[in-house]
Amino acid sequence: MSPKSSRIRNVFEPLDTSWVADLWYSRFGICKEAFSGYKFFRKAKSIWAISDASLPRLSYEAIGMRIMSCKGRPWKPTTCALQIFGKYATKNLMHLETASAMIFLEGASQAVESDCEPGYVVVFYREEVLGCGLYSHGKLVSQIPKERRMAGRGNEDLS
Amino acid sequence: MFFVRGMDFLDRYRDIVPDYEAFRAIQCQPLYSSARINTLKIKRDLLLEKLEADDVPFQIFGWYPLGLKLDVDSPGKLLENLLGYIHIQEEVSMVPPLALDPKPGETVLDLCASPGSKTTQISQMMENRGLVIANEPSLARVAPLRSNCERLGCLNVAITRYDGRNFPRGPFDRVLVDAPCSSEGRERRGPGVWARSSCKRSMDLQVLQIGLLKNALRLTKPGGVVVYSTCTYAPEENELVVQAVLEEKDEARLERICLPGLKECPGITQWNGRELKDELSHAARYYPHINDTGGFFVAKIIKN
Repeated sequence: MSPKSSRIRNVFEPLDTSWVADLWYSRFGICKEAFSGYKFFRKAKSIWAISDASLPRLSYEAIGMRIMSCKGRPWKPTTCALQIFGKYATKNLMHLETASAMIFLEGASQAVESDCEPGYVVVFYREEVLGCGLYSHGKLVSQIPKERRMAGRGNEDLS
Repeated sequence: MFFVRGMDFLDRYRDIVPDYEAFRAIQCQPLYSSARINTLKIKRDLLLEKLEADDVPFQIFGWYPLGLKLDVDSPGKLLENLLGYIHIQEEVSMVPPLALDPKPGETVLDLCASPGSKTTQISQMMENRGLVIANEPSLARVAPLRSNCERLGCLNVAITRYDGRNFPRGPFDRVLVDAPCSSEGRERRGPGVWARSSCKRSMDLQVLQIGLLKNALRLTKPGGVVVYSTCTYAPEENELVVQAVLEEKDEARLERICLPGLKECPGITQWNGRELKDELSHAARYYPHINDTGGFFVAKIIKN
């Protein structure tokens, strides 16, 4: 089934695992085996992943986890998906020191030196994936969702 | 009296709650913060090491190795919570999933799921295998449910939005009915519950609760398990609901709930002069003054 076909219809349509795995391999070097054992669906411009089990015929509001958005170019991984699959990344990842990690978790931007290609990156701290960042021209912009940010300069309203 | 307001409303439980004065006194004491370790994302020992390294004071529950009392002001702001390593959850609210006892690979329905504390506990007990259908009719309440499932890394949960009384399709190995209720057991978390409590409100909720529990039994496989729980003391929303469903459907029995280390009181078998089924004593009532928790009612029903 073409991944494009559900864009006009607001329904979950099954996707080939290989279509998802190829994208993640090409951006993050994540081996394709990391995606076996899951089923993938597309609804509008979002891609969802769920453990491989037979789904009863029901009307669904969500199927597993929203792992990526194809709304813009390039596609964007969600922070929650990177916390699952990002640990297998072999490229376009960066490790932050404590002070930088805190700035990232506050949702703020900062200057970072990295040899990552411009675009979305997997951000690590102490061997753990914190989430998704947007890197370009020496600047890292945190993509941590607002409700999951630490109190600080990135979200004073929550402090 | 039909509408009794404030703490005096508690007096209707004088004859069923052991050590009633202590029960009444503890209502004014706020509850400590507590959390469940999310083993979908981190091993228990590693999480405990992290909390120690970050100087977060904690105490492990005596009855559940994944439950923690946290001595911090805003546990929701802990890095461990933001990363989904822990989930802030009231202590006795961890009981219904343990009574349900879901296994990896099974198909489980959580009929009244949001905000997903029990859904995600079920998902974790199933080790992200099999399928959990988390049903929540209210669109506004789907957002926190989804957010919690995603933060905690639950990959075996699908969300539906049916009226639980008409959820259309089974069968399921296990069904949890954590029913909407008058929430009297939450007084220590957010005072003011008693001002909203009334017998009429409980009777109105009972109609919904019976509808939910009936449908849950219908959706369960023979030999499967239904757990019915509320966070209220009102027998109208607890034993009387279970009695009504068991009376009508001669196809189920109650199994005793016992979690070593957590003291439960037996379900009542008499209320307002009415005799109830003896087996209702197999249900569990958790009172705040007995374990220093919130209040809960849990019944485990086996479909024959």
